[in-house]
Amino acid sequence: MLDKLKDLCLLDGISGDEGAVREYIIDKIGDKAEIRVDNLGNLIAFCKGKNTPKNKIMVSAHMDEVGMIVTYVNSDGTLKVSSVGGVDPRVVFGRRVKIGRNNVLGVVGGKAIHNLTAEERKKSVPFDKLTIDIGVDSREEALKLVRLGDSVRFVSDFVEYGEGFVKCKAIDDRAGCAIMLRMIEEGVEYDTYFTFVVQEEIGLRGSTCAAFTVAPDYAVVLESTTAADIPSASGEKRVCELGKGPVVSYMDRHTMYDRELYELAFSAAEEKCLPCQTKTMVAGGNDAGAIHVSRGGVKTAAVSLPCRYLHSPSCVINKADFENAYVLTKLILDRTYNK
Amino acid sequence: MDTFEILSQLCSAAGVSGAEGSAAEAAAKLLEEYGEVTLDNALGSVICKVGSWADGKPVMLLDAHIDEIGMIVTYITEDGFLKISGCGGLDTRLLLAQQVTVYGKEKLTGIVTSTPPHLEKDSSVAPDLDSVFIDIGFTSRENAAKYVSLGDRVLIENKAERLAGSRVTSKAIDDRSGCAAILKTLELLNGQQTAYNIAVCFSTQEEVGERGAKTTAYDISADYAIVVDVSFARTHYESEEECGIMGKGAMIGIAPSLSREMSDSFISLAEEKGIPYQLEVMSGKTGTNADAIGVSGSGTKAVTISIPEKHMHTPVEIVDINDIDNTALLIAEYLKRV
Repeated sequence: MLDKLKDLCLLDGISGDEGAVREYIIDKIGDKAEIRVDNLGNLIAFCKGKNTPKNKIMVSAHMDEVGMIVTYVNSDGTLKVSSVGGVDPRVVFGRRVKIGRNNVLGVVGGKAIHNLTAEERKKSVPFDKLTIDIGVDSREEALKLVRLGDSVRFVSDFVEYGEGFVKCKAIDDRAGCAIMLRMIEEGVEYDTYFTFVVQEEIGLRGSTCAAFTVAPDYAVVLESTTAADIPSASGEKRVCELGKGPVVSYMDRHTMYDRELYELAFSAAEEKCLPCQTKTMVAGGNDAGAIHVSRGGVKTAAVSLPCRYLHSPSCVINKADFENAYVLTKLILDRTYNK
Repeated sequence: MDTFEILSQLCSAAGVSGAEGSAAEAAAKLLEEYGEVTLDNALGSVICKVGSWADGKPVMLLDAHIDEIGMIVTYITEDGFLKISGCGGLDTRLLLAQQVTVYGKEKLTGIVTSTPPHLEKDSSVAPDLDSVFIDIGFTSRENAAKYVSLGDRVLIENKAERLAGSRVTSKAIDDRSGCAAILKTLELLNGQQTAYNIAVCFSTQEEVGERGAKTTAYDISADYAIVVDVSFARTHYESEEECGIMGKGAMIGIAPSLSREMSDSFISLAEEKGIPYQLEVMSGKTGTNADAIGVSGSGTKAVTISIPEKHMHTPVEIVDINDIDNTALLIAEYLKRV
């Protein structure tokens, strides 16, 4: 599963440009599930089980990652960008990025620190002031290499470090995709729909349509969520912690989660002595927000990996949490198929 | 050797101020073919006496600094995170969620802590070193301390990679591109005798106050010095009068603290040979090793020849290979004058 995670994270797929990720997944599961790609680019995989369950179940993860998009080329050949999804401009400044279909290398920079006033040094560079330098001096030269609307992706390698930690870009939500890949490859006991959806980061758009199409009774969303277990945060501000198991939420900014499924997840975890935690703040949101209000409503749970530095080029998860999220998801499904 | 290849070899080596060992060795290896190289001075600078020195010739020092901007570990928290301080004036605006390498007992990956946008209300404040930690994936001080000691250096790694045309981005272009220009100068001289006894110094600890150059200048006791460092190339929000222009050649320094005689001869030589150049006028000291070298011993005539660079003191510095080559050409022609 870790190898697949690595492959998936290193693929580029900002919202609206998820093709490479979808192709990879199709290549892996094309012969193991009935698959279709809808008009938005969602990949819907129906996995036939040994039995037909009482409830129609949908498991969902999103393929897209946050990034940027080229909006303008300055006369000096530098590029202006907007963020795609929620990106803090401070994790973009001073980075390498890859741009467009030609994978043009660029760097995000600005005025040298030496030439800033004391006041300016205290301020971050906001998105509307960020420029990308690709090594040319004019708009004409730049436009030979890039086009407006080109995707701009973080450059970040996949690294295992410390006591079982993994760092890469796009772990949000390729980790969810990797868990679903494993479940499909291993085969399911009961018929299950797996949806690899697009455009989560710009407003849960892919899942809106995928949920409509699948029309499930129950849904489990696999995600990554905000862990702030760093020394500068204490108490509830840490939200959740790496190494303490997958996160099952009761509420976030988009969803009041089905209480029965929430309890079911914790009792299943307890039964199997599996670590499991919830968030200590109402923060973030995920595709559950769109899925649980699809059609006449869907009972929905979210199983999330606690992830540090979410939406940056350096997302960090713990390998044990990753494995445990897979195990917990299976436990929840087993208890939901014929509920 | 190809200039990009030289730059690439130099930039990929680690050399945070005061811990320049790897970078100094990489540079020493490239210098060996030009003369006797020594590294055994107190502050660790790379010194090379080029070719064989003849009696009575004035000594010309070619200097570039080998150290680079970085960080140093100052504390390990109970839960195994590191606190850091700067080695040199790092641009701290780029710290959040940055991947770093901690040069501990072994090389360790670390991530600079950051709070995701979901929890952060104000993204307009630039981080500083006090507000961040380095996450090396350990969960206790005890475990972290098996690999990391206070005083270990920390680097944001970025190997040299080509951008469009002749542009290159890397960490440590400041001032490995200066070292590369000097190596190219020696290649162009190709063993030819000049009017000088030439010494090369790739000096340490420039970023923390030109300390390596201070001591090597004393040891070498040069009559003249050419200091090759980087200077500001214009970026999008900068005005023409503040900066040089990338790709338009070396920037010849003019300053009260520099030798006007050397500046003038560089300018007339560049004109005469048709070598592209720009002027960099400074009103006092230069902020380079020329400041220390100029007042070493009973004084050295010094000039700065600067290579235009964008994004100084970041891991995404940019230089134009043609500027390095033209800097080398200009200095080689200067040394060849009779």
